[in-house]
Amino acid sequence: MKNLKPITSVVLATLLLGLIPFVSDSEKSYLVYFLFLTFCHIVLTQGWNLVAGYTGQVSLGTHAFFALGAYTTAMIWRADLFSWENYYFDPVTMILSGLVPVIFALAIGIPLLSKLHGDYFALGTLGFGEILKVVCIKGGQFTGGPIGIMLPSSVYTTMRPHYWTALFLAFLATGVVYFMTKSRVGLALVAISEDETAASSSGIYILKYKVLAFAISAFLSGLCGSLYAYYLFQVSPEGFLILRWTLYPVLMCVIGGSGTVVGPILGSLLMTAVFTVTSIYLPGIHPIFSGIIIILVMLFMPNGIIRLWKKGV
Amino acid sequence: MENRLLEIKDLHVSYGSVCALWGVSLHVPEGSIVALVGANGAGKSTLLKTIAGMNRPKNGSILFSGKHITGLTPEAVVNAGIAMVPEGRKLFARLTVKENLELGGYIPRARPFIQKSLEQAYELFPLLKTKSNQIAGSMSGGEQQMLAIARSMMSRPTILMLDEPSLGLSPLVVKMMFELVEELNRKGMTILLVEQNIYQALKISHYAYVIKTGKIVLEGKGEQLLSDPEVQNAYLGTME
Repeated sequence: MKNLKPITSVVLATLLLGLIPFVSDSEKSYLVYFLFLTFCHIVLTQGWNLVAGYTGQVSLGTHAFFALGAYTTAMIWRADLFSWENYYFDPVTMILSGLVPVIFALAIGIPLLSKLHGDYFALGTLGFGEILKVVCIKGGQFTGGPIGIMLPSSVYTTMRPHYWTALFLAFLATGVVYFMTKSRVGLALVAISEDETAASSSGIYILKYKVLAFAISAFLSGLCGSLYAYYLFQVSPEGFLILRWTLYPVLMCVIGGSGTVVGPILGSLLMTAVFTVTSIYLPGIHPIFSGIIIILVMLFMPNGIIRLWKKGV
Repeated sequence: MENRLLEIKDLHVSYGSVCALWGVSLHVPEGSIVALVGANGAGKSTLLKTIAGMNRPKNGSILFSGKHITGLTPEAVVNAGIAMVPEGRKLFARLTVKENLELGGYIPRARPFIQKSLEQAYELFPLLKTKSNQIAGSMSGGEQQMLAIARSMMSRPTILMLDEPSLGLSPLVVKMMFELVEELNRKGMTILLVEQNIYQALKISHYAYVIKTGKIVLEGKGEQLLSDPEVQNAYLGTME
């Protein structure tokens, strides 16, 4: 019964957050947009957490999978792939936008993860993002070049579906990480991050679990990218293939506490708030203050905020 | 002829252009303790790692129960029934004793028996049962070595390879460790023991190989090698 407590509190919190658009005017208040952005960050952060926090492989390719998801959504919509009336928040389109990044994650994950470790894997994923960026900019008609693909923004009526979908995805991502870590798979992932030699001499197929975590992370990032495409209505290299979509999740995860389930949520909430508040009240110089806060957190809470409460977790 | 459980024929292994093993041949009969002794850098650990599938041999073959296992991946080797206790124990230091044991029984062949294996491990090492929720890294060196052995036993192996189990342990604990190895052997476990503690290793082993710069230079019954003047001179110093 003890194990049910965190699940119940997360479900309750999700339901309560789901009511916010009824209380706060989603078009006028900043709160709904702020929480939407926070939820998006949670999805990406949990994805990165699964790979880096649990298997110990630092990926710098989150933005690539995020963009792949967005481009998939935009291309399906533009090509009218299913001859449907509506591609706006279409679940099939969104799931496909998660699966395309998975295919890429498998294609680059298997060679990268079987050969490269640590820093080299990080550089490999970063390189993948850069290649994708060049391909998208030079892609001509297919990718829309530097301008990208414009989507019919006339379908936009309210922010509410974005809010609820983001909330659901954040809930899903957290649930995936929670259940992965509670299962046998989670134990294998932690074992790999602890000591790869020991894990493989215990008979754990290291590559399989690393690739699995990497693919799930790509799936979550792709879903989030699809959602963000529905928000921006323009899928371009400038909006999606930028390092902020990789660096923010890394930052939020490390600050909140990587390798934990709740840490990424705390980190995303705190850092989205910090970035938002500083950019409103200190326009122009806000990165300085954001930077100072990051340094302070790293100095005094090197293992993340979550470990202030849970020592030694 | 006795039943050769593990047989290594003319094994060559190199790290890049550096040759670490030059045509090593040895065999481990079922139910015996075979020791592989030698100085630092002789190639002992390289041999174990190659058997375990962590190094690829350039040449030669490894046979286990008559079947080729040369070039298999580590997890396939473990699944075939060869377990290794790596040098320096390599525990999952931040995980609990019980989690470490569960990870030892992760392979498909051992998974259905995991509960039974746990009970057997706790029976063999009652201390681990009392500490089952303790973080592995917080235990003493001897306890950690016990856990490392118990963890590798969780895969229900037919042969256990121990890489320097006495490393970094106090003399009293070293003695205990060798007694434990003998006890495991009495219970039917075949053991390939790599040691720098040559005196103790030769004393408990049925057969032993001396390895020097990547080649087997001497072999014989453990007691025999102990009284061999060449071994005494080169590895043991003058005794008494």
